[in-house]
Amino acid sequence: MASSSSSAAAGGYDMPWVEKYRPNKVSDIVGNEDAVSRLQVIARDGNMPNLILSGPPGTGKTTSILALAHELLGPNYREAVLELNASDDRGIDVVRNKIKMFAQKKVTLPPGRHKIVILDEADSMTSGAQQALRRTMEIYSNSTRFALACNTSSKVIEPIQSRCALVRFSRLSDQEILGRLMVVVGAEKVPYVPEGLEAIIFTADGDMRQALNNLQATYSGFRFVNQENVFKVCDQPHPLHVKNMVRHVLEGKFDDACLGLKQLYDLGYSPTDIITTLFRIIKNYDMAEYLKLEFMKETGFAHMRICDGVGSYLQLCGLLAKFSVARETAKAT
Amino acid sequence: MGKRDAIVLSSSDDDDYRPSPRSKRSYEKPKSKSSVTRTNPSRAKRPRIPNSRLAKQSSNVDEMRLAFRDFDEVLNGFKVSAGSRKSNTKELWVDKHRPCSLEELAVNKKKVEEVKSWFEERLRTPKGETGGSSVLVISGPAGVGKSATVHVIASKLGAQLCEWNTPTPTIWQEHVHNSSAGMSYTSKLDEFENFVERVRNYGLISSSLNGNSKSSIILVIDDLPVTNGRSAFERLQRCLVLLARSTRVPTAILITDYGNEDSSDLTARWMEELQLSLESAGASKVAFNPITNNSIKRTLSRICKQELCNVAAEEIDLIAKASGGDIRHAITSLQLFCLKPNAELYLSSSNSTPSYPKENANELNTSSGGFSSQYGRDETLTLFHALGKFLHNKRETENVVASDQNAFQVGEKFSRLPFKMDSPEKILCQAHGQSRPITDFLHENVLDFLSDEAVDDAWTVASYLGDADLLLATFRRTLTRHSETENVLQSAAASVAVRGVLYGNFHPSPSRWHAIRKPKLWQIDHSSSHNQNELLRQRFTTDVGPPSLSEVSVIATEYRPVLKWVGYRKAGDVGILESEDDSVQRMSMDEDSEICEDDDDIEDW
Repeated sequence: MASSSSSAAAGGYDMPWVEKYRPNKVSDIVGNEDAVSRLQVIARDGNMPNLILSGPPGTGKTTSILALAHELLGPNYREAVLELNASDDRGIDVVRNKIKMFAQKKVTLPPGRHKIVILDEADSMTSGAQQALRRTMEIYSNSTRFALACNTSSKVIEPIQSRCALVRFSRLSDQEILGRLMVVVGAEKVPYVPEGLEAIIFTADGDMRQALNNLQATYSGFRFVNQENVFKVCDQPHPLHVKNMVRHVLEGKFDDACLGLKQLYDLGYSPTDIITTLFRIIKNYDMAEYLKLEFMKETGFAHMRICDGVGSYLQLCGLLAKFSVARETAKAT
Repeated sequence: MGKRDAIVLSSSDDDDYRPSPRSKRSYEKPKSKSSVTRTNPSRAKRPRIPNSRLAKQSSNVDEMRLAFRDFDEVLNGFKVSAGSRKSNTKELWVDKHRPCSLEELAVNKKKVEEVKSWFEERLRTPKGETGGSSVLVISGPAGVGKSATVHVIASKLGAQLCEWNTPTPTIWQEHVHNSSAGMSYTSKLDEFENFVERVRNYGLISSSLNGNSKSSIILVIDDLPVTNGRSAFERLQRCLVLLARSTRVPTAILITDYGNEDSSDLTARWMEELQLSLESAGASKVAFNPITNNSIKRTLSRICKQELCNVAAEEIDLIAKASGGDIRHAITSLQLFCLKPNAELYLSSSNSTPSYPKENANELNTSSGGFSSQYGRDETLTLFHALGKFLHNKRETENVVASDQNAFQVGEKFSRLPFKMDSPEKILCQAHGQSRPITDFLHENVLDFLSDEAVDDAWTVASYLGDADLLLATFRRTLTRHSETENVLQSAAASVAVRGVLYGNFHPSPSRWHAIRKPKLWQIDHSSSHNQNELLRQRFTTDVGPPSLSEVSVIATEYRPVLKWVGYRKAGDVGILESEDDSVQRMSMDEDSEICEDDDDIEDW
């Protein structure tokens, strides 16, 4: 089921595309070239150091580790890899028992290859369990190596960080996601318009997993990927609509902006949805620096109030009013 | 190089349900042997017997002997076969380049000397006649070479090293299996206590080490049992204090500091408490500091030379800086860094031919420009670059973008020239920065970059930073579990802080060199949490009641004065006072930071 080779012959609906098109070669991984190129060298030469891969979700951390393990161990993957994630029981006892047992297990491997323990979502391990890992990592280092994936490296305790090389993953760029989407779209023969893919990329916000999920959801729901369908499936306020709101404010048409907001609100979007989209629009909207700063600040505050429980239509209107005030202040006289 | 024999004493339940422990060992033996022969002869030799058990009861001494006979066999086998093979692709560099002489140790010479002289003194004088306890507490952050120092010194002094290894815990199924066989459950903490008890009473069973019965023994406790809950911790503490008071075997207890980690983290607080109580029991203490940049650099260049990889001095410098004084991490990073993707030729040839074309290496260096900024424990380095961009506030000299006629015109006062960099959000994303530290750093440093006359600018910047702080504070208080909302708030705060600084700094001071300082905000946090610890500790030494952490300010304002007034006699009303606080304390536990501020005031007063 390597990305390009599979042409979705049969059973295409059985698997989430995220799994179906998960790269199983390190070289196929999209984005983060520095990190990936190093992993490629490891895949070729063996002798993997202990690694911590940290970064936001959907950037390919788990995929990289799995691909790396597959490439390193090939047919031995089954017996030479121990994979534990947050859904497994990972208390101190498991760490000490399972991992230690595994580390002591004898597996014949080619030179330069080691057994690999993969700990996904390592930041959700208790610090006690991580403490227990500390010594194990050292004692068995000549037969077993560890690869940890986590979202924030600071949640991994220092002794473990000290024993691992840290590899940071950052969010994928829109081009990188688009490239991968095109591959999938081609392989699944999904009918689409470019605006539809654009919309998917917007909703994904640098998260490849979400992009693929949204693509599949749109396809299975409507059989056609265009902007409208994508936003229906993802159930986010249409960015164009929100963008118009901001534009109206900037043009001084406060009434129009409020009307737009009312429409959105009547469609049933919660204030949190609206404000999240609004923030992303403002972030990318081309406007004067002062205005952008003020808008962001006010959006942040409004978001804070909504989080505190005041998620009313009035708050959103007030936010638009504050935008207008900021605009008036900054207006050239 | 001194020969270093380390024995790992570990007890584990694995052999509890095996028919005979002996068979287990013989199964285990080939493994430990092979692991020994694999090691590079020029380095540490640490044959291990993973499953020999330092007996639970004294009747297991025989078993011990057997274990050590095995050990000797392994050792002999090792002596014969070692040196024939050289395998340098199989190991982690951290293991491969483990220091094996005092000179190679990157730790501060004075500290090493301190530890060494302590051990020398303890080993020279007859047992039990030296004043003070024979326990040495070595503390320090992770990866500063605590264990390495002990190992090197032991080999230098020709002493044998015995390590305590915490055994594998029993899982439930295993317990069920065992109990049907008539085995009763012992907690791992019990085992540790038993072990310590035995060491106190009989010393290590040196006679069973038949080969080297003359040589002296050093006990190393590196891996303290994990304790869960206050009472377990207190047992551990009591038993270690007993050890410190009465053992005769020179013992080193290694404790890892957690630096400025969350003050809410109980284990960190307990470790500190443990150190203090050990000290008060007469143990000597040596605190290791993070390793200096220069010695890390020296070590890294030595490794580079041995590994035949050519890494530019600047790269080494970067790695050393990014490691934050953690040499183990620095070496691991170096290993990763040396995996250059375009170095195929060189990597494959380095095993066979030690020399390689010079030009090739230069090319590699140039091509790997900004690589290392991605690696390293210390996030502040990548942060540093981003901060530099924000603080220096580089802009175009004129508005090159032809302004759209339809676009909204901004007043003179509010308009700014376009950035000479990517959008701030993009830089933030690349720097992998968290919002909180960025705001703190900006707050600490921004005033240096403002022109001296521009008070209005300072006002603008400060107000925006205040706003950002407010956004972040909410995030901390409500602790919303939704990642989406967290994201928006965090990035809004970061954007406001960064853009506020960029926007507000309208009259930048003439560009000159400024050191970027660490925010003081954290220092106060840290010292206040230290004060809190101190307070709590004092209280617990006088009060043997059930461990509960009552509100610190109450302790400072009411409890301590009361204690003073009654002349440290146990006052009856203390208990009442405590129960009243109970409800308050539950809430206040999460909001450490808020208490901190109160507490600090009180401390000053």
